[in-house]
Amino acid sequence: MDNSDEKQIERRVFASFFQAGFIEAFTGIFLLQLGLPALFSRSGFGDLESALLALPIALILLVVVFIIRRLVVIPRLGHVKFLPERRRRLSKLVLVPILTLIAGAVVGYIFSENASLRYTFVGQIPFSLIPIIVFSAAAYFLDMKRLYVYGVIVGLTFPLGKYLETIIVSRNALPAIILFTAFVFLGMAIVFLVASLRKYQEPEV
Amino acid sequence: MKEPPNQRKRQTAESLLEIMNIDRLVHSPARLSILTYLSVVEEGDAVYLLNQTGLTWGNLSANVTRLQEAGYIEVVKEFKDKKPHTVLKLTDRGRHAFYEYQNTMKGLLNTKSLSSASGGE
Repeated sequence: MDNSDEKQIERRVFASFFQAGFIEAFTGIFLLQLGLPALFSRSGFGDLESALLALPIALILLVVVFIIRRLVVIPRLGHVKFLPERRRRLSKLVLVPILTLIAGAVVGYIFSENASLRYTFVGQIPFSLIPIIVFSAAAYFLDMKRLYVYGVIVGLTFPLGKYLETIIVSRNALPAIILFTAFVFLGMAIVFLVASLRKYQEPEV
Repeated sequence: MKEPPNQRKRQTAESLLEIMNIDRLVHSPARLSILTYLSVVEEGDAVYLLNQTGLTWGNLSANVTRLQEAGYIEVVKEFKDKKPHTVLKLTDRGRHAFYEYQNTMKGLLNTKSLSSASGGE
């Protein structure tokens, strides 16, 4: 066994702690948080009201996810303290929300300068780039290749929604496609969670 | 080009001697598995090892005790949320024994493949 074998084992062990669908659940909640306000604002609510209406739903789901992880999944997987190299890499994950904030601020600035851009197909490109950048950063720091794919899927929902709005002439196509993607991710999270619970039974001491 | 038979015999004898010197405590599949999974983390609990190695509680416990007695792993028993919690950690001695075992096996396998390539037994 050489060093590369050990790295592979370490990567497999680390990945096994993220196989219960939490990344998919967070992605789904993130998309819900984008899709619900868009739907509410198209139903006549103001931007702030829409965001405030969607917030409790996301918070409740996040609490449920954390409770499931703490009380159901971790007792089955066991507790592990990873090597310092892995912990250093994980600590850099803090850059992900910082990147999100910076990218969001840049997009906000662009739209404040040119509000009509928000309703165009080209205007959706920054919305696509943000998830691609954020998910790529998370994929790099977590060392998980599937997050690159998730980034592309989430990124594509915005131009696809806008495109559907133009061809089927429906105001709700964009939130509908975002919510559809959110439910796909939440569904994946449930499937992964069930598979993980079946694979790792609660140990009998 | 083929090696002379005497040289091949000497190599085989050296390999056999090396095999005799292998740390048998590490050589057992169950213990090797425990040491491998502890070598890739700083510390892990019994449930982690149980999941990764696929051993039963009894088998894990027996092998952990042997490794602990040899000073290869450190076992800390504590309470977490009012439940017993066993944390295991590879000691420096255990890490050294594990890497030495790896190098010996790698050397042996290389010798074996070299002798096979040169037409030896």
